[in-house]
Amino acid sequence: MSFFDILGLALRNLREAKLRAALTTMGVVIGVAVIVTMTSFGLGLQRNTVERFKNLDLFNEVQVFGRDLNTVLESQLDRKPEPASEGGENKEPKKPGNKRQAKSSERPLTDAALGEIAALPGVAYVEPTVRFSVYARANDRVRQELIGGVRVPNGASRFQHFAAGQMLGAKETDAAIVDESFISEHGFKQAADAIGQRIEFLAPPDEVGSLSNASRRNEGGAEQRASGKAEKEAGISSSPTRRADDTAAESDNTTAALGEATAETETDEPLTFFGLPLEDSGESSRAGGSGLVARTFRIVGVLKNEVEKGSGGNRRFRGMMPAANIYIPLRAANEWKATHRGMMEQVALQLARRSGLIDTEETEGYQAATVRVSDPAAMKNVVERLRESGFNVFGLFTELDEIRTFFLIVNATLGLLGGISLLVASFGIANTMIMSILERTREIGIMMAVGAEDREIKLIFFVEAAVIGLMGGIVGALAAWSIDKLSNRLAYQFILAPRGEPFIDFFSLPPYLWLGAILFAMAVAVAAALYPAARAARIDPVKALRHD
Amino acid sequence: MLEAREVSKIYQMGGGVVAALDRVSLSIKEGEFVALQGTSGSGKSTLLNLFGGLDSPTHGDVMFDGRSLAPLSKKEMARYRRASVGMIFQNFNLIQTMTAEENVSLALAFGGWRGRERTRRARELLMRVGLGERAMHRPAELSGGEQQRVAIARALANRPRVLLADEPTGNLDSTRAGELLSLLREMVTRDDLTILMVTHDDQLAARFSDRTIHMKDGRIEGMRDEG
Repeated sequence: MSFFDILGLALRNLREAKLRAALTTMGVVIGVAVIVTMTSFGLGLQRNTVERFKNLDLFNEVQVFGRDLNTVLESQLDRKPEPASEGGENKEPKKPGNKRQAKSSERPLTDAALGEIAALPGVAYVEPTVRFSVYARANDRVRQELIGGVRVPNGASRFQHFAAGQMLGAKETDAAIVDESFISEHGFKQAADAIGQRIEFLAPPDEVGSLSNASRRNEGGAEQRASGKAEKEAGISSSPTRRADDTAAESDNTTAALGEATAETETDEPLTFFGLPLEDSGESSRAGGSGLVARTFRIVGVLKNEVEKGSGGNRRFRGMMPAANIYIPLRAANEWKATHRGMMEQVALQLARRSGLIDTEETEGYQAATVRVSDPAAMKNVVERLRESGFNVFGLFTELDEIRTFFLIVNATLGLLGGISLLVASFGIANTMIMSILERTREIGIMMAVGAEDREIKLIFFVEAAVIGLMGGIVGALAAWSIDKLSNRLAYQFILAPRGEPFIDFFSLPPYLWLGAILFAMAVAVAAALYPAARAARIDPVKALRHD
Repeated sequence: MLEAREVSKIYQMGGGVVAALDRVSLSIKEGEFVALQGTSGSGKSTLLNLFGGLDSPTHGDVMFDGRSLAPLSKKEMARYRRASVGMIFQNFNLIQTMTAEENVSLALAFGGWRGRERTRRARELLMRVGLGERAMHRPAELSGGEQQRVAIARALANRPRVLLADEPTGNLDSTRAGELLSLLREMVTRDDLTILMVTHDDQLAARFSDRTIHMKDGRIEGMRDEG
């Protein structure tokens, strides 16, 4: 007997008792609808949560730390006066260096190292962290500002929302983008007013002049001059071509600590800001400060300050890269850092070179870099490879795992609750099947008499149950889909829209969910038919066919 | 063709034991039309069910074509019922919700017939029993004689060499009964079919069968050649 014959018999049996079949199927419909609705809600919650973090670049970025020169130097300096303790070097307690050392990697984060990281599979993008503070003058007001270098073009989500203007162009060397707090601090009425305005970076008089306006005209010349200047200061000689690589980010008071410390810096930033006493007498400050202008940038864009709803007006935290008030091209930032090294940094570099810790040719490297992966799933692998290469890494990758685990539990619980209703439905199926067997005892006897095998008799009942499961599953999945749509609609109309919030899809209904639910319903239905089918196959044909 | 050797069938009934068949031995040749007679409870239907593979004996051996049915598995037994023997019953045992053709087709489906071939053969079988016109009628719309003809068509669907009939004329008037047995007789003569028929009608048995076997209390009481 072919499968289609069996299917035909099964369908005929269902047609013979339409109402009963429909009521039994209803149980499956409800079970599947509950499973799919609840699980799709759980999945939707998960998607919305993860998506939220993902949009903030929190799950696809990690911070990689370079070798921190200060840490290495401190251990060197500690050792020198007392060579006796050299054997116990590892046990030496280093109180001030401890926290830093935790972040510091074994390897310096040079441009070569960055290239190596960029080549790792799954890595989309590497951007060194170059941060420094300057006194910046714009609109006749001088404020201390945190400057950040950015690679252009830049895919980070923090550079996607502008209040006015646009992102730095790839070819612009003296362009800058600022954030909205800069606008208010420097007394601009609105963001658009700042576009095209100049920002002047101030520097000590003996450092002014090397870069100022020369860089705007001739990038190469500026670079050379910058390096020349830096070398003069550092008292070392290195080839000008290498110099560009050499302009590494070294710690200053503001950017010394990264990671959590950076987060603090960022949130504290508006508070720690302090204006110069000259603030109110703008004209005189201009006259007095004009000799301090080291370099001028032109504002091309104003970043929108995104304020997190319901968290006390805190700024939204985007990505792993430390935030800044003013962003300038990475190259310009590197040049500035090379030219305007802090005194501490100069000393550190000198000490490192003299002690042979780093070659005169070698660079101390960047302090940190942001690594972005193309897919958060690749994150674990990338982090592992980075650690193997000797870099310290900070990121929220473990948090992503934790969120996944949490939602796995939530979804499993929701699915289980739905599963209970399907379990109830399975009893209905078993009941219907047994009823049907009692009614069709003679028919089964006849089939046996004309040569039906046990297998075929059982199969008829399994197929009958599977059809109930399939129909119930399809209708149930459709019902769940309708419930999802309706709930979204109602939630928008009565909750979100009155508050002026945009439409949110609270549910996620991937094909594997509803397909899986239908298959599961079929499996449950067939399982429910196990006993009835066995019972049908046990029917004694002699008794079934006996004269009535 | 069919042979029973010292066959017993014992049922446990309440406290006691009832022997429906008591060491029955019997042999039926190919192409023979044998009538099995006896009072109710004499064991004739039980014997028929044993030959039909619907039941198995407590003792003894039931043979078909020289081979014992005892070692057959459940599956092989189903195949035996399908292809080796056909059965008809007093109450016809047609499926009420199926048309005459569907009833015949069901047996053909179990025999592995597919699609158009199956429909063609079902029509052909119904034609042979004189029901070509009534193929699309359900059992309730057919007379007793017609229903039994459908049952015969179904029993012969998978070309068995033996037809086992349990009181086929029990629900028919004498005219229809005569017509039906003529049909069976013709099949024996023309197609070399072997028939074992349970009946309590002496006259019919004498008129159509080659041999009559009398049973009483689970034993064979006597045989008579009707030739």
